[in-house]
Amino acid sequence: MRSKFELLFIGITVTITLIFFITIGSMFLVPSPEGFINALFSQQMIFAIGLTLSTALVSATIVILCCIPLAYTLSRFDFPLKRFFKIILDLPMAFPEIVIGIALLLFLGNYGIGSILEFYGIQLVFNSTGIIIAQFFVALPYATKSLYSTFNYIDTRYEFVSRSLGYSQTDTFFNITLPLSKEGLFATIIITLSRCIGTFAAVLFVGGGILMKTETLAVSMYLHLSTGDIDMSITAGILLVIISFITIAVMEKYTNDNRNQMI
Amino acid sequence: MYLEIKNLSVDLGEFKLKNINLSINKGEYLVLIGPTGSGKSVLLETIIGFYNQKEGSIKLNGEEITTLLPEDRNIGIVYQDHVLFPNMNVYDNIAYGLKNKNIPSEEIDLKIKEISSIMKIEHILNRSIETISGGESQRIALARALIVEPEIILMDEPFSALDVSTQETLTNLIKEIGNKFNTTFIHVTHNFNDIWNLASKVGVMENGIIHQINTVSEVFSKPTNNFVADFVGIQNVFEGIIEDSSTSCAKVKISKNLYLYSSDEDICSKIHPNEKVTVAIRPENIIFSNESFESSARNRIKGKVIETKKSGPIVQVHCQVDDVILKGILTRNSFESLDIQKGKDIFLIFKSLNVNIIDTYTTFKS
Repeated sequence: MRSKFELLFIGITVTITLIFFITIGSMFLVPSPEGFINALFSQQMIFAIGLTLSTALVSATIVILCCIPLAYTLSRFDFPLKRFFKIILDLPMAFPEIVIGIALLLFLGNYGIGSILEFYGIQLVFNSTGIIIAQFFVALPYATKSLYSTFNYIDTRYEFVSRSLGYSQTDTFFNITLPLSKEGLFATIIITLSRCIGTFAAVLFVGGGILMKTETLAVSMYLHLSTGDIDMSITAGILLVIISFITIAVMEKYTNDNRNQMI
Repeated sequence: MYLEIKNLSVDLGEFKLKNINLSINKGEYLVLIGPTGSGKSVLLETIIGFYNQKEGSIKLNGEEITTLLPEDRNIGIVYQDHVLFPNMNVYDNIAYGLKNKNIPSEEIDLKIKEISSIMKIEHILNRSIETISGGESQRIALARALIVEPEIILMDEPFSALDVSTQETLTNLIKEIGNKFNTTFIHVTHNFNDIWNLASKVGVMENGIIHQINTVSEVFSKPTNNFVADFVGIQNVFEGIIEDSSTSCAKVKISKNLYLYSSDEDICSKIHPNEKVTVAIRPENIIFSNESFESSARNRIKGKVIETKKSGPIVQVHCQVDDVILKGILTRNSFESLDIQKGKDIFLIFKSLNVNIIDTYTTFKS
């Protein structure tokens, strides 16, 4: 027999989830089947899918490689101004993505180091490199936060014991800490990949939103909506939903499998 | 000295270890006791090198290890909740410390066979650590620490999560290991049974300092201050004034009509009449009698029973003597045969040797 409290909370959960489902699902009903198929196999959409996945994979890899030492440092070591560093790294999560986009555009463009880089033949804006940089800046704080919680959750005494058995801090990190954070690391990879795939405003500013050049799925959705091409726009949106759904479902399955193994 | 800690201070911000001095010989078993938050675990983790000391030095087997990294100190640690690596099975947990020493796998196999036979865990070597009991986990944690032949093993409340019978078995096992390998242990506990069963030395800590560190009998019979006396269960602690003293005996005035004789030679020779002192008498050293009788015990006091508390096979009896309450314990049989009841007059008899002067308001101890 369920209590009133339990029934109330289940009711709230089901209602809110249904609102989400209906809102997102309604997008699937907008384009006609022919319109969807044509848009999906258009050269522009195939380019956007390819660019989105390739840039997201590169930026997510860089983010993960950077967030591991960042998160571990913040979790385990004390150093001057640590709290300040932590706030700086968390800050991009608090303000709109567009702020990162503008800041990056100014810094990497002619107001910042753009002219110096141009002198050496390097251009970091309005191309796929710019997209990767934008995705990196947007996703890194989320990845660091997620992995920081994971490292915090791991009892430091595992590391103490490993070191008492003769292993250096580096060996202990790779033998003990990293394997124990496997589940959290996997979740972080998924979160990072999702953030990189879904990054919009920062990518639009730094990439320039150029058709067939810096047109990721999120940017494509915006560009086609602004020109009134609903089928292309909604198809890009549907693809983003499908990709996100798959990544989250994989994460759920993986974490559940791990939990069952532990039991 | 095998382990020698001098003037060690550690500053962890909210908590500090202050001026720790400690020394133990090879093969000795030091038990550290003290209330929660007294710094026992921090001291262990400083000895092993996880916290940096602010001041002081640690020497192990003649070598200065104060600035060595934990991995270079060769000190083992066993925690209350075992801290077995969940990403490894039992065998790999035990073998972990040997695997970075370039030891051939056949030799590792032999060593594991030997240690697992001592620990009686041969049958679970291939098991995942999620499927083993608390007692087995503690044996594995001990095996993992012992197999690398550390100079010293630190144990942080190793038995507190185990049932009584497992605690007894592991206590015997540790005794066996200590005898066989002449292992030196430092053991943090809240359980006094660990002291009776294992300790050759006891240290009493509070608020980051060691109040007293000495042999078990010395700490329990001659606590150096009120805190130690109270913590080790000496319930009769009174302030008094030295009425008379010689090199071997002191007469202490506790209240208007209550005088106690103490023959603590170390202290008696250093105190003088009219000095304020604190005396302690262990409750188990008090003999109850319905009549006063001549004996070698110098303290014979008449009191009135004001309270009795039954606790398992023993009974605690509180007696009013003048305006002081003396507490003693006796068995249920003795309690019944003496027919002790509230309001009854009774004699309390104890030797002057059992009256310890634990503190004075002078500085004779320094």
